[in-house]
Amino acid sequence: MTALIRAAVIVAGLAAWEVAARVGSPLLYVPPSAALPALRDLLLLRSYPDVLEHLWLTIGEILAAYGLAVAAGLGVGGALGLYRTLGRVYGPILAALYAVPAVVWYPSLMLFFGLDAASKVAFGFLLGFFPITLAVLAGIRQVNPQLVTVARAFGAGPLTVFAKVLVPGMLFTLVGGLRTGLALSVVGVIVGEILGSKAGMGALINHAYGLLRTADYVALVVVTLVVIVAADVGASLLERRARRWTG
Amino acid sequence: MGLQAASLVVVLAAWEGLARAGWVDPLFVPAPSAVARSVPSLAAVALAGLADTLAKTAMAYAVSIVAGVAAGLVLGGARVLDDTLRPFVIALYGMPKILVLPWIVLLLGYGTLPAVVYGALHGFFPVLVLVSGAVRDVDRHLLTVARAFGARPWQLYLKVVLPAIVPAVLAALRLGVVFCLLGVLVVEMFAGVRGMGSLMGALANGFRAPELFAATALVSAASIAIVLGLDALNERLSRWR
Repeated sequence: MTALIRAAVIVAGLAAWEVAARVGSPLLYVPPSAALPALRDLLLLRSYPDVLEHLWLTIGEILAAYGLAVAAGLGVGGALGLYRTLGRVYGPILAALYAVPAVVWYPSLMLFFGLDAASKVAFGFLLGFFPITLAVLAGIRQVNPQLVTVARAFGAGPLTVFAKVLVPGMLFTLVGGLRTGLALSVVGVIVGEILGSKAGMGALINHAYGLLRTADYVALVVVTLVVIVAADVGASLLERRARRWTG
Repeated sequence: MGLQAASLVVVLAAWEGLARAGWVDPLFVPAPSAVARSVPSLAAVALAGLADTLAKTAMAYAVSIVAGVAAGLVLGGARVLDDTLRPFVIALYGMPKILVLPWIVLLLGYGTLPAVVYGALHGFFPVLVLVSGAVRDVDRHLLTVARAFGARPWQLYLKVVLPAIVPAVLAALRLGVVFCLLGVLVVEMFAGVRGMGSLMGALANGFRAPELFAATALVSAASIAIVLGLDALNERLSRWR
């Protein structure tokens, strides 16, 4: 029943969009009936023949940013969580930096890394890094300290403690942070591309918007959204799996 | 606290040393002393830009809090509505708003209005999700008892629901402001003619790294101060409760 109502909500939304867009200027408002042909042209490589290259570039940037964010987040979060003094000193600094809207760093990154992929990777990394680090930090605090003491007493080094005791103990929090981190890395890359780039989906979106090719713009947004949703669906499947494993 | 200040000093000193020794290119990473020297010439422009940005943020914040709390009360109060619409709300909350930014700028032009609208859009969803969740989770027994004693719907809202969701509203107040500021800055960077976002974009494009670093530090300090201020307020209000 709710599924039926939800479908009705979607249909009503599309219908309202269609009616509203037909009343307004076609340069500014694109009804679904015009967006669909634009999407077809895009997928058939008519409107933007090189869209696939841009799409791969964006996906590559996301993967690079996320990979770096996971590695650095696990490293920094692990170090701050394992060595309590470090955590007490630098944890609050991290939390304070997290309260700064991340986009303030973007102009500096653009200056430093240029307009190419590197600045997008850096920004996606920065956005993904914080939730992962903070999740690792919070997760380690949840783990029973006696388990760590026992493992240490049996001669486990920091890396062994991390992999064998801490990760299984905090998996629940960790996967949540990893999922948020992925979503934010994706946002970072796309924000970076839209704020200034020469290639990638964001650059195409800007191109279409700049030329008032609004229907193409809508089609490009739809394709980008598919990438974003796919990333999140993948992450949520992994999350579910991890939860089943921890029971 | 001492250790934090000490490590900040060490980082700044190491950075200064690296820059003086020529290990980093001052065109991209200026020494802290160069950043400090750029402050007097930048101060007037930057403070005006910050005031402009914060004014837009305040407007966006007011809109997102009022709309978010109102929509949260409606959504959380009506179970059918909540069950049906929740997936849409979550999807819209998670969707990167940046994708609609070009369209907002196309519609509303350059200036204050698109920044306020986009900032409010950023702040609205976290507030809505927090508040509607809190309304939904209000203890059913309290509602039943209040009804049994003949409370009218408006009394239920005023005497039971509103006091119960105060913590969520306070959390929303704190979370919302960062989102609103983020949204305003993004618009200013994308299509701004005033405000810190457009100033920082211009400084980056002009390769004026010392001024850019100073401006970045100013915005960061302002936003940390705002969040700490809200935290203090939060603390005080929760003690009062």
